[in-house]
Amino acid sequence: MSHEMNVSRHLPSTLHWLKVRLVQVSGMASVVMVLILRFPICSAGAQSTAATPVAELPPGSMQAKATTACTECHEARIILQQRLSKAAWTKEVDKMVKWGAVVDANDHDALVDYFSANFGVDQPQFQPPRTPEKKSSVQSK
Amino acid sequence: MKSRRDFLKQLSNAALAVSAAPSFFSKLAFSQSGSVSIPGEDGMIVRSFRFLDLETPVENFNTWLTPVPHFFVRNHMHEPSELDPSQWKLSVGGEVEKPIAFSLAELSKIETHSVVNTLECAGNGRSLYRPQVPGIQWGKGAVGTAKFSGPRLRDVLQRAGVKQTGKHVMFRGLDEVPGKVPAFIRSIPIEKALDADTLIATHMNGAPLTKHHGFPARALVPGWIGAASCKWLTEVKVLDSEFVGNFMSPGYRYPNAPVKPGNAVKAEDTHPLTALSVKSVISGPLDGAVLKPGKVSIHGAAWAGESEIAKVEVSTDGGTSWKQAVLGREQARYAWRLWSYAWQPKAGEYTILSRATDSQGRTQPETAAWNPSGYLYNAIDQVKIHVS
Repeated sequence: MSHEMNVSRHLPSTLHWLKVRLVQVSGMASVVMVLILRFPICSAGAQSTAATPVAELPPGSMQAKATTACTECHEARIILQQRLSKAAWTKEVDKMVKWGAVVDANDHDALVDYFSANFGVDQPQFQPPRTPEKKSSVQSK
Repeated sequence: MKSRRDFLKQLSNAALAVSAAPSFFSKLAFSQSGSVSIPGEDGMIVRSFRFLDLETPVENFNTWLTPVPHFFVRNHMHEPSELDPSQWKLSVGGEVEKPIAFSLAELSKIETHSVVNTLECAGNGRSLYRPQVPGIQWGKGAVGTAKFSGPRLRDVLQRAGVKQTGKHVMFRGLDEVPGKVPAFIRSIPIEKALDADTLIATHMNGAPLTKHHGFPARALVPGWIGAASCKWLTEVKVLDSEFVGNFMSPGYRYPNAPVKPGNAVKAEDTHPLTALSVKSVISGPLDGAVLKPGKVSIHGAAWAGESEIAKVEVSTDGGTSWKQAVLGREQARYAWRLWSYAWQPKAGEYTILSRATDSQGRTQPETAAWNPSGYLYNAIDQVKIHVS
């Protein structure tokens, strides 16, 4: 396994998150940058880099509290893929509180703002990972 | 009609042509996000790891039966952490003369019936609605076709003796419910429960169900939304009315009348989802593909829940003209039909559409009917490709 692969596998989650966000937010310039970053990994012959099985929420003042409130029941990827208005996020947070998410009443509005800012309707679509492809099944198609 | 071998050959040639020239952006998106290994799952899109929700990439829809490692997985809760098949029991109670329980061995002694069924999550295609709605953001691949086998639900119910008061049949699974989340419990009307094709399935494509698909037994309610087919089944209860719970209302309900996109709908103006809509998906060429001029097979799958596919039409000019596709030979009452259309494009940019019509005369609409939970997306499918 190449040195680059090891580094990539052990990237702090926040850095990994930032890389993903950069691509989503900044368009082609960042796409090119990430391609350059990724190139040594591709040349190492890896099928693709390993993603963490469960994703993490983005940095922000509510990251820790949101992680505690939400990810006891489900991983962050369920949140990362939503693209909702503030009104819709309010309904979701209220539903989840009813279903057992522990959210201090004083944090409610900040939590809605955190989700709305990171996962609003104008954000680019979330790109999910895949499970590795088995070569044998590809050949049999 | 061409032979099955020709049909499959055509599909596989097209798949090769497409895989040789994949879309730059689809590759990029893939490498960006890396991979997550899940034993038994092959090249699946990970919508969520916990709960597990896996989507099939559309290019896999080129076989009539979807191999289990390519079959979508939709879990509402955590899978059972411990499940000992020797201890497993299925209880049958409620509005019955004699409540009864079956072990797996006892269940296996009841006559087995097989149904090839296209199973589709009600939320398949949710990500394509605008405005966007909350829920798992499925693309086009929360659907698959498999041969499900096991005893008929009605044979099991008859052993308990359904009372005249029995109007609905409720299923409870062994999935583990976190927090104060309501359990995933739904019911189906007694008429559908007693249908000869409604099963307690123990096998999928000839092998015992895998854990992700409900081992050791699941309900199989053919032609209906996937949520009707409860996994890890442990209780069948006959009720005198529809089950009352989150996953019957407000979950899995559909507006009685068209809704202006973005508007709310009152619960009393909705009904529970049952059968699937008429729908087709293009499995090749893939969106964004770059192809060489010459022979190209446009292909995919089409299904219509409890209804049959009457025809699939293809447009290669963005909907100005339509040509009829050839339907694959393999068919079964609740199963999709594969289809293909042989095309000879010259260089250029193309928008390819597919439109299915069923035996009831239902045709895929240009725009799917928006609804607050994003169910039953079935707009005419579309891919854009470049030929040079």
